[in-house]
Amino acid sequence: MTSSATSRAISSISGTTINIISSSSSSSHRYSSSMGWIRPTTLSVANTPNWAPSFISRTHRSRLVLIPRATSSSPDTGKKPNKRTRIRTKSNKKKPPQNQTQTQDQTQQQTSPSTSTSTSVVAQEEQQKQQLRLDLEDVNPVGLGRRSRQLFDEVWRKFSGLGQISSTSRADQREALDALLVREGPMCEFAIPGAQNTTVLVIGPTSRIGRIVVRKLMLRGYSVKALVRKADEQVVDMLPRSVEVVVGDVGDPSTLMAAVEGCNKIIYCATARSAITGDLFRVDHRGVYNVTKAFQDYNNKLAQLRAGKSSKSKLLLAKFKSQDSLVGWEARQGTYFQDVVASKYDGGMDAKFEFTASGEAVFSGYVFTRGGYVELTKRLSLPLGRTLDRYEGLVLSVGGNGRSYILILEAGPLADTSQSKLYFARISTKVGFCRVRVPFSSFRPVKPEDPPLDPFLIHTLTIRFEPRRQKPVEGPAAMKQDPRSFKLILEYIKALPTGQETDFILVSCTGSGLEPTRREQVLKAKRAGEDSLRRSGLGYTIIRPGPLKEEPGGQRALIFDQGNRISQGISCADVADICVKALLDSTARNKSFDVCYEYVAEQGKELYELVAHLPDKANNYLTPALSVLEKNT
Amino acid sequence: MACRLPTQLATPGKLHHPHHAKTSTCHGTLSWRRTLAPDAFLSSTQSSSTTLSGCSYKRPLVTCTAQTNVGAVNLAPGTPVRSTSILVVGATGTLGRQIVRRALDEGYDVRCLVRPRPAPADFLRDWGATVVNADLSKPETIPATLVGIHTVIDCATGRPEEPIKTVDWEGKVALIQCAKAMGIKKFLFFSIHNCDKHPEVPLMEIKYCTEKFLQESGLNHIVIRLCGFMQGLIGQYAVPILEEKSVWGTDAPTRIAYMDTQDIARLTFIALRNENLNEKLLTFAGPRAWTTQEVITLCERLAGQDANVTTVPVSILRFTRQLTRLFEWTNDVADRLAFSEVLSSDTVFSSPMAETYNLLGVDGKDIISLEKYLQDYFTNILKKLKDLKAQSKQTDIYF
Repeated sequence: MTSSATSRAISSISGTTINIISSSSSSSHRYSSSMGWIRPTTLSVANTPNWAPSFISRTHRSRLVLIPRATSSSPDTGKKPNKRTRIRTKSNKKKPPQNQTQTQDQTQQQTSPSTSTSTSVVAQEEQQKQQLRLDLEDVNPVGLGRRSRQLFDEVWRKFSGLGQISSTSRADQREALDALLVREGPMCEFAIPGAQNTTVLVIGPTSRIGRIVVRKLMLRGYSVKALVRKADEQVVDMLPRSVEVVVGDVGDPSTLMAAVEGCNKIIYCATARSAITGDLFRVDHRGVYNVTKAFQDYNNKLAQLRAGKSSKSKLLLAKFKSQDSLVGWEARQGTYFQDVVASKYDGGMDAKFEFTASGEAVFSGYVFTRGGYVELTKRLSLPLGRTLDRYEGLVLSVGGNGRSYILILEAGPLADTSQSKLYFARISTKVGFCRVRVPFSSFRPVKPEDPPLDPFLIHTLTIRFEPRRQKPVEGPAAMKQDPRSFKLILEYIKALPTGQETDFILVSCTGSGLEPTRREQVLKAKRAGEDSLRRSGLGYTIIRPGPLKEEPGGQRALIFDQGNRISQGISCADVADICVKALLDSTARNKSFDVCYEYVAEQGKELYELVAHLPDKANNYLTPALSVLEKNT
Repeated sequence: MACRLPTQLATPGKLHHPHHAKTSTCHGTLSWRRTLAPDAFLSSTQSSSTTLSGCSYKRPLVTCTAQTNVGAVNLAPGTPVRSTSILVVGATGTLGRQIVRRALDEGYDVRCLVRPRPAPADFLRDWGATVVNADLSKPETIPATLVGIHTVIDCATGRPEEPIKTVDWEGKVALIQCAKAMGIKKFLFFSIHNCDKHPEVPLMEIKYCTEKFLQESGLNHIVIRLCGFMQGLIGQYAVPILEEKSVWGTDAPTRIAYMDTQDIARLTFIALRNENLNEKLLTFAGPRAWTTQEVITLCERLAGQDANVTTVPVSILRFTRQLTRLFEWTNDVADRLAFSEVLSSDTVFSSPMAETYNLLGVDGKDIISLEKYLQDYFTNILKKLKDLKAQSKQTDIYF
């Protein structure tokens, strides 16, 4: 008893759901969808046995007994649906009744011209019988005629459907089914859970790869914005209609703010149309820079709006803007080894960390001792409840004369510093101000046997200068400087938040397949663009495909590699597929890789230590392939 | 049921068919050769002399073969067509839309031939396909759609409510002839399994004739025969069961190996790219063949509720069909019910797929079974209903 009650409740709800879906789909199906769900209920209301024998006896006087089960079940479900029908017909009457009935009838005549003649005869008989049982308010000749016809149509449709080879459902039903099976429903092969809430900006949506990227995103249910330079009819026609078209130029930063607004991710597949240096510079180098900048600005704006609670906001470790901020930092010196013989020529070393009158925190000095170094160190004090394991690296805003330094992190249990382990990473700065991004993953243990760095345990940060391995600084002013002296202006040190996924996918190139004359130029611009993306602080994925081929994707195994060992081409569709897969793949974050078809010859195959896999229906070939690649290259 | 009488009645009944009434030359059973030159198409495209020639049997229906050289020469000076440009005919259908999606996802440039209609097929354009308006029953609209196309995929079938010949036969012939004349590189045609064994069913006979016509035309082609779509079962059985409406089924012993259209689309493109499969006939069938009763039982089990099943004996269907064939004005109905002839036989719509999988290099385990498909459907829909119920409860509190 209870089960039947619940199932009835479900059925009534299911009726409403599908109604909602179908009515939202298109206005042209309005009549049929509003009426369509009445028919079956009236059908089961004991009407079936009335017409059935009469129909049979009309056509052929025989001993056939039709449809036994409909009769037996009818009294059970009889009352409730009857009520519903009446309500519905009433609500229909509120609309202009004459027009509606006519159109209804007309459409039905169109859909079944052959049956209409036979229907009318049977319908009359049926009408007479029905009149005996119906209330006064139901005896409306127009409504009755319509209902009896609907009833007959429904039965006839089902009956004839049995004898058909292909069953096509009616338009209204079809809409409801489509919504579930085809569009965004879970039954759809392409649908991706996180796609609905993600907006992707595609830059270069009309390029060979971009075109396919846009389609793939649409199929998976992403919201897509497309940046075009001119919204010509020709260009807009190439894009799916529900793509939001934004007019802008990557070379013009002022136009990009509108483009990045509301976007979660960016796929950059634009490239210069010519090998003219200016063009290359504008699109492949500055273009990437401009877009990353606009996107970061937008993210920062969001982070500010959420008052530092956004997942995008960085954690400030140190900000050097007053004398007080230098407290806790300690300048030290030391040597790696004691040089006995040369000690009398030792020029010594010196270092100081001070706040200058011009408002800069400067760490400067010199190291003339062989094997000597100076360092600046501080025990980090993190805000309550914050640990560095939610961050993936450090970003330092520094200025100076372009020396390279070593960052050293001490990690271990706070209570017992003797157990601390040291990890180092070398950073290089530029003359003038720059921001340096140091991912935690690039820190190596000082003792090789130590485990890799665990950001959770970091307690002390050290910046060390040593005269060894300093690169001569370019430029005329630097020539006079001794490489053993240094000056480092510190602005701030922040921890970068980890993102799960990549924010920016850049399609670059390997350079193979280009004409030798323009190769250098193109590569230079592309590499510069890649660098500006890596430095931007966004989670990035840089894809360098081999020479592009215009052929369908998914045909051949792919090779993912790092280093310049790519010899084969790849289809545009495969590159597009990698772009789309990388969007929601955590292993793709902060990676650059080359990709091409599998090299078929046996020789040299051992060069590729990486995964080759044929893309297939459900599998995700990207994750295993990328998980073995190095980050932050 | 008297089986003999209706079949005898069937043949004269054909004379009353509106289309046959025009060509009074048609007597006896249909053969693909005779029907190859449908008057409607020829009168509009060919010279009038051919139309007037008495017996269509003698007609050089292979006008296509005669045009072979012409087509090739015409194409030579033009720009080469990209191999990724395809035209899908019947793109709004159950299978067609999956074909379009799969093609777009694999990086093809897809053009869809769609009949002009008041409510346009917007979803195709949303996915990124190009939509061109044309109607197979109006052959003059076809050639323009084939410009710049490398491959034609034909998954169109006339709607049940329209006369079967206009789209499925005359339209297809026009399409194939146009494709030939315009140098289309590959033509993929979807047919019905066992269509050669049931000439009494007009749709199957037409499909078989089209296969033959395609072979004769000399086009580079692949024919894929299909059994049944799982998607069709949802509307036919699953939805009515959930809504406690009556489900109509037959007691026919016919078994059909249903297949997911998404799988069909996937296999289709693997076949399309395989040059070794040119001129071949493939059959795609699901992992297992099911009778109607079995499908209904499965749906009942998965939905967790009993269906209100109305079983119609096949004999009644057949009888109705033969009855309707008696009159000219019910002949369309008769054509529609023609499948009942197949239902009454013990035909199994299935074929072993091991060889096909091998040929295509596909793992048979990747093909979804009907149990899995329907289970997915029911878990999804029941979950959705539950969510909706929870929502509606909440609104009760608020209002």
